[in-house]
Amino acid sequence: MSAVAASGFSGLFSGRPLRLLAGAVLIVNGMFPALWILFTSLKTEAELTAKPITWIPHAPTFANYMQAFSDQPLHLFLFNSFMVALLSTCLTLFISVLAAYALARLNLRYRGLILSLIIAVSTFPLVTLLVPLFEIMRTLNLLNTWIALVLPYTVLSLPVCTLMLVSFFEGIPRDLENAAMIDGCTRMGALFKVVVPLCAPGVFTAGILAFVNAWDEFLLALSFNSNPSLRTLPVGIQLYQGEFAFPWPVISAALVVGIVPVAVLIVIFQERVVSGLTAGGIKG
Amino acid sequence: MTNTSTINAASTADRGPPAWTRWLDLGDRALAVVLLAPAAILLALIIVYPVLRLGYTSFFSLSLTSGLPAEFVGLENYSLMLDDPVFWETTWNTVLITLITVPGALLVGLALALLANLPFGVQWPVRLSLLIPWALPLSFAGLIFAWFFHSEYGVVNDVLMRLGFEGIIWFNSPNWAFAAICLTIIWKTSSFMALIILAGLQTIPRSLYEAADVDGAGRIRQFFEITLPLLKPSIVVALIFRTITALQTFDIPYMMTGGGPGTSTATLAMYIHQNTVSFLDLGYGSALAVVMFALSMCVTAVYLRAIRTKE
Repeated sequence: MSAVAASGFSGLFSGRPLRLLAGAVLIVNGMFPALWILFTSLKTEAELTAKPITWIPHAPTFANYMQAFSDQPLHLFLFNSFMVALLSTCLTLFISVLAAYALARLNLRYRGLILSLIIAVSTFPLVTLLVPLFEIMRTLNLLNTWIALVLPYTVLSLPVCTLMLVSFFEGIPRDLENAAMIDGCTRMGALFKVVVPLCAPGVFTAGILAFVNAWDEFLLALSFNSNPSLRTLPVGIQLYQGEFAFPWPVISAALVVGIVPVAVLIVIFQERVVSGLTAGGIKG
Repeated sequence: MTNTSTINAASTADRGPPAWTRWLDLGDRALAVVLLAPAAILLALIIVYPVLRLGYTSFFSLSLTSGLPAEFVGLENYSLMLDDPVFWETTWNTVLITLITVPGALLVGLALALLANLPFGVQWPVRLSLLIPWALPLSFAGLIFAWFFHSEYGVVNDVLMRLGFEGIIWFNSPNWAFAAICLTIIWKTSSFMALIILAGLQTIPRSLYEAADVDGAGRIRQFFEITLPLLKPSIVVALIFRTITALQTFDIPYMMTGGGPGTSTATLAMYIHQNTVSFLDLGYGSALAVVMFALSMCVTAVYLRAIRTKE
């Protein structure tokens, strides 16, 4: 991020006021929707339906948050989302560390083919497998369990994480590993005691991407887990809509609750997330 | 690699690890099999077997609501599909969403990236405002923008009216509903484009622009002759990924309109979901999914070729 190269375009914005304008455009574009939802969540029903609509809440209230937790089991939605995301992140990391090590360190005859396959899987439309996955989960009695989501979500993030870790592993000098093995480590010992700790930032970044992917997924969660106590956040959040009523302040409060955990991750680890997104693999 | 193996062998001979760990000291080949096995097993279970099963089921009449056993019907599901106006409508909507939002997100993303590449004193607010839309779940974005476009209390109509326009009842007309969905998708996906393009921009050496200045090339010409050509690789990769995800569009229209009014904003993914989960018509749902699978495989093939030519 530090080495900012000038593009031909930046000449147009070399003045300070114009630069501030550019910054304002970026920030409004990125933050306004989340901010607007935050404002809505703090409004009373009366203020919400006042005309003309107010932008900043006049009398902020937290009542909508209370109601979001009491109308629906929001804490369960959060818990399910968190557990599914955490479990699939751990599984993704374990599997992709092993695979990436093999691809980065061993002389594989089919390395090019395997890498192409991984890229092909990363573009795979999981939606098309809705029917067979639904059938498989039904046969295995896994509908309405965390596992029904953990396994597909792992596949969702596996290619990106593997490609990212391959490039991280390739950056670790082999000598360190060899030294560890001379000192009596097995190869697997060297992997987990030397290579993985050295790659910790990379492994961690891959983990964040996997977590966000799983936290965001909607279609499979909607299709596989219809039991109210097993719904994840994106699925549960629809339940606030009644047949005719649309309690926007309460929905907004629930949305804010759902945005905060990931927003905190992003704020703390923003630089890592950006480098992971742009370096390793790409999935939007 | 032989290098490592010899050292490895030597170390085992000298003062090797305890005997019980030796079973892990496999040759490269065997070790590779062990390390790649978990990934292979998972992909076999979640992708390979389901793909085969998908093709197989698409030749059967299999409806869980009828309670009848699966019956082989050959290509009947496919011929039903050709006569199904909803199939054509949802496929057309999906293609249209792809054709509108992919270039749209590219243009907006390019603009955002150029703005974000300016020499700001503080970097984190800019970075954060590109990351937040990426991290926001698609389904949340759909709900938030449904509220934005609310005909009475939405902020979009509020701004329109303050500017002296009439408010629009967005979700009552197919065209306005479609426009609202496309705008939302473009907003949600352009930030990610911007991040990728920004990373590309930051690899362009400043000296190229200085040289162009000396040669008397204007800013516009520099943009088209230096910036764009050098950005091409990162743009191509981002575009193809975006195209594949656009073909799978589900969350945003589902949350914003539920496909309505009628089925005017429903996508192919929504139709597959409806047939599978709501109607439990697995045979027809599979045939629809095969079509989508074929569509995205074409794009993937283009992608793999683009990468190979890049290398």
